[in-house]
Amino acid sequence: MNPMWIDTLFFYFFALLVLGGGVATITCKSAVHSAISLIVSMVGVAGLFLLQHAEFLFAVQIVLYIGGVMVLFLFVIMLVNLDESMQMRQFNRQWLLAVAAVIAAGVQAVWLLSKPADLPAAVPQVPGGPGNVQRVADVLFSQYLLPFEIASVLLLAAVIGSVVMAKKRL
Amino acid sequence: MPANFVPPSGVEYIRVLPEIILAAVATLIMVLEPLTPAPRKRALGYLALAGFAGALAGAAAAGWRTGPAFSGMLEVDGFATFFRLLVILAGLLVTLVSFPYLRREEAESGEYYALLLYSVAGQTIMVSAADLIVLFIGLEISSIASYVLAGYMRREKLANEAAAKYFLLGSFATAFLLYGIALIYGATGTTRLNGIAQVLSDPRMAPAGILTGTAVALMLVGFAFKISAAPFQVWAPDVYQGAPSPVAAFLAAGPKAAAFAVLLRVFMTAFAPLTGRWLAIMWSLSLLTMIVGNFAALLQTNIKRLLAYSSIAHAGYVLVAVTAHSEEGVQAAMFYLTVYVFMNIGAFAVVAYFSRKGERYVEIEDLAGLGVRQPVLAALFAVILLSLIGVPPTAGFLGKFYIFQAAVKADLLWLTVLGLLNSAVAAYYYLRLIVIMYMKEPGDSLLELPGMAVSTRAALWTSAAAVVVLGLFPALIR
Amino acid sequence: MNLLDAVLWLPLAGFVLLLLIPRERVRAIRQFALGITTATFLLSLALLVGFDRTSAAFQYETNLPWISSPEIRYHIGIDGISLWLVLLTTLLSPIGVLISWQHIDRRVKEFFALFLAMEFGLIGVFVALDLFLFYVFWEVSLVPMYFLIGVWGHERRIYAAVKFFIYTMTGSVLMLAGIIYLYIRAGTFDYPALIEMMMNGSLMLDRMEQNLLFAGFFAAFAIKVPLFPLHTWLPDAHVEAPTAGSVMLASVMLKMGCYGLLRFCLPMFPAAARGAAPWIVMLAIAGILYGALVAMVQPNMKKLVAYTSVSHLGFVVLGLFTFTELGTNGAVYQMLNHGISTGALFALVGFLYERRHSLEIEDYGGVATPAPVLATMFLITSLASMGLPVLNNFVGEYLVLQGAAQVNFRWAVFAAIGVILAACYMLWMYQRVFYGEARKDFSMRDANLREWAVMSPLIILMVWMGTYTQTFLPPITASSAAILEQTKVNVEFHVERQMPRQELANAR
Repeated sequence: MNPMWIDTLFFYFFALLVLGGGVATITCKSAVHSAISLIVSMVGVAGLFLLQHAEFLFAVQIVLYIGGVMVLFLFVIMLVNLDESMQMRQFNRQWLLAVAAVIAAGVQAVWLLSKPADLPAAVPQVPGGPGNVQRVADVLFSQYLLPFEIASVLLLAAVIGSVVMAKKRL
Repeated sequence: MPANFVPPSGVEYIRVLPEIILAAVATLIMVLEPLTPAPRKRALGYLALAGFAGALAGAAAAGWRTGPAFSGMLEVDGFATFFRLLVILAGLLVTLVSFPYLRREEAESGEYYALLLYSVAGQTIMVSAADLIVLFIGLEISSIASYVLAGYMRREKLANEAAAKYFLLGSFATAFLLYGIALIYGATGTTRLNGIAQVLSDPRMAPAGILTGTAVALMLVGFAFKISAAPFQVWAPDVYQGAPSPVAAFLAAGPKAAAFAVLLRVFMTAFAPLTGRWLAIMWSLSLLTMIVGNFAALLQTNIKRLLAYSSIAHAGYVLVAVTAHSEEGVQAAMFYLTVYVFMNIGAFAVVAYFSRKGERYVEIEDLAGLGVRQPVLAALFAVILLSLIGVPPTAGFLGKFYIFQAAVKADLLWLTVLGLLNSAVAAYYYLRLIVIMYMKEPGDSLLELPGMAVSTRAALWTSAAAVVVLGLFPALIR
Repeated sequence: MNLLDAVLWLPLAGFVLLLLIPRERVRAIRQFALGITTATFLLSLALLVGFDRTSAAFQYETNLPWISSPEIRYHIGIDGISLWLVLLTTLLSPIGVLISWQHIDRRVKEFFALFLAMEFGLIGVFVALDLFLFYVFWEVSLVPMYFLIGVWGHERRIYAAVKFFIYTMTGSVLMLAGIIYLYIRAGTFDYPALIEMMMNGSLMLDRMEQNLLFAGFFAAFAIKVPLFPLHTWLPDAHVEAPTAGSVMLASVMLKMGCYGLLRFCLPMFPAAARGAAPWIVMLAIAGILYGALVAMVQPNMKKLVAYTSVSHLGFVVLGLFTFTELGTNGAVYQMLNHGISTGALFALVGFLYERRHSLEIEDYGGVATPAPVLATMFLITSLASMGLPVLNNFVGEYLVLQGAAQVNFRWAVFAAIGVILAACYMLWMYQRVFYGEARKDFSMRDANLREWAVMSPLIILMVWMGTYTQTFLPPITASSAAILEQTKVNVEFHVERQMPRQELANAR
């Protein structure tokens, strides 16, 4: 059996998860259903990472996004009273515009893909060498040291921001 | 550890000194915040003020040791130093305006000052970034802190609307930017600005036009949102109106100047090889922005909304300088942004002072008779308004002059004529403020007008003085 | 630092010092303003002493660097034309202060501060020899006038002030575009240097460039003059302005436009100016007739005088665009005349207003009986304004008409109709206000000392300028001849002499 063929099969499977999950996320009326659809979509992304041999990112995706972030999402959804919003009409009613945008984006993508010569060559795989995690770490703590550090400032600012928004007393 | 790794040297730390100081002081404020009793929160503000002052010194020190830092992620050159000093100064002036405002609204807290410091730190990172990743993170730090600041008055309905709108649209815009960055990385294999320029200008390596074109367009959308260029300006009036006045002053100063710095740097370095393709877009963007800003401002009755539209119009003028894509254009934009920061903070300082508790008096009509009751204050405000119109010998005039000089030099004759006519339109709505201040009889809005606090006074005087002095001696910063 | 610098900066110094006087000390403020403006006038009189009346060169020059990039210099100087305009400004400033002595009773400090700032701007416009500096002064003079109209004017003052500002601003931004373009092309803002480069051919503007630049500059100046049909801001501004504002507006500010045409439009873009001349002359004549006809039916004295300005300034533009020495001299002379006589008219109307608090002609009648001196002053000024020989306007109008006749006799004929109409509207107004049944329902006192002080220098000048032109004309002639010389550079033109009908028939 040709392994390329299996790869392709898996790619389409995960891509379907990503897109289907995404569509379901924005169309579901119930917030809980939306959140669960989002999880499905993220699982798809994780699968795509795995297909790219990015095991570390795959693990991060599963642990952080699906494990951490989504659980928090669900927490918040449970805490907030959603009965009211169930009654309300959704305000994403600009179907025509959305369809037009999607079609335009689709045409663009198809056109882009139909001219494969224009696409940059795939980055060649480095055979052997250190493992995936170590390679990521090497780059992250040398070349990308500064972005890595200032990302913490970003998170800190976000934390303080959420504290301000949630504080009782002002 | 990879074999080729060289740990950052001491001088590289000096080059990020302002960021270090700003982030450290912000964090310190957050540590001290729970330890400070409510009536003494002002002390945290003083700490923030000291932080900004220190960061100014730090930026000057960094500017003295120019060069790249952290494996070329940052490029501390004259351009970066100029904008670093500018955004830090903007933060400092806004802090001064915030003191009496927060006390009046009984909303003093360490978080406010910490967020201000973080936001400015993000901006200093943006303006010195030499890599799209760093640029993006800097932009996000600045943005997230400003989203929260816009909604700081949580009890106000308008503030909620402002924050929500700003956050949603802003996130959307940064998503565009990120998408563009991803595409440009896909097309060129690098996120380094000069690396991108190298690949794009090399005919053997130049990637597909459609891919780079899409990437440039997407990034332009992201930046256009941040500088509130039409047609991506719809958020600005609502956000400026809903945000506390000092924050509105801040939004139109720091983040805007930083976004322009980034726009200039990216389009003048990385996308310089593609100039022929983005020039027409920039041309129409600037014209549209000027027209939308000025004509919409004509209809406003709320001072904050009026200043918001005026800030859109001024973004249009700076875009004219970007369209000129020349050394003169860059210098003109730098001068204009500096002047605009002062004019804008000065104007909002008056609004912050005049609006009274809960921002009750923010209609233009409320200013009636201010020229009689507070002649000095009104005169300073009038100087700033005249500078916004572009009347010599104020710096606002000289700024416009530099911009349109660069435009004429770049053969943008029609854009120059249309832009100048726009500034004549703008005269009308700024004059309306002066008319009401000086030529209308005082109304109820002037009852119980307290004196202006010392710190606001300092900010206003600084702004007005800067506007006049830079108008007479532009060589000070050019 | 020479005498001219002192004349220019003294009002600004006065402005700053006046801000230091406490606002309650109204009397001190008035006296201080009068002192400064009088001192400025006396200083400017001293300019005459060292002035070479036969030279067309710029004198009392100061040339210092101001801004290095772009190269902007503080370059000032005067020639025979700007000399008189500076003197006109400095003469009318103390008169304006005297007029406002009692008329302005609220926010006195601001009024006189702005008045001094305006004097600074106005003098600056006439002495600046750097295009950038010129533009700066041009706008600087605009702002105080805007406040004078808007704060101390009559009922519709705000509308008038904003209209005034926006009109002028629109014109001047177009001029700014022109200035920038010129700088890019020539690399300098310096006026003498620019003229020099154009004369020796190192700066050649092609016809297209000239047309566009001319249009930009002309827009600014034509609005300011104001040339028909751009005059609509003028009646509003005049009627609503306080008396001193009207006086300064009519006497000095309108001259800024005429001066700009003469100083910049004609010599810098001669081909375009000559090309456009027939059309502009047409507009000028239309303005002369239109202004006169509209003035005739005005029920409001101030509005009437305002429309006479449109008419009189039509003469100035007509004279300038004849490109003849007589026409140009006449235009400059007419600028000064109009400054004196219309200024005097506005002042007199202001005096009447202080007595009756009305500007409507029908509210007056028989004023000559209780106030014979005032009536005499008004009569002399009216006669001067309508161009009676021996008085000043006659000289200017005569020169302009003669210049126009040299080029095209029909121009002179049409323009002369304006002179006749002037007699009609002035005398008719005079008759309705001063003769007839004396109204008893208000007291009309005669001229007081202050009013004497205002009117006597103006009336003396009317007679002087009408009888002894040799005092004033030689410097003007020298400078306007030089400017006319500059308008012949690089121009392919041929003066089409209008063949008289008889010759035409003979030729057939």
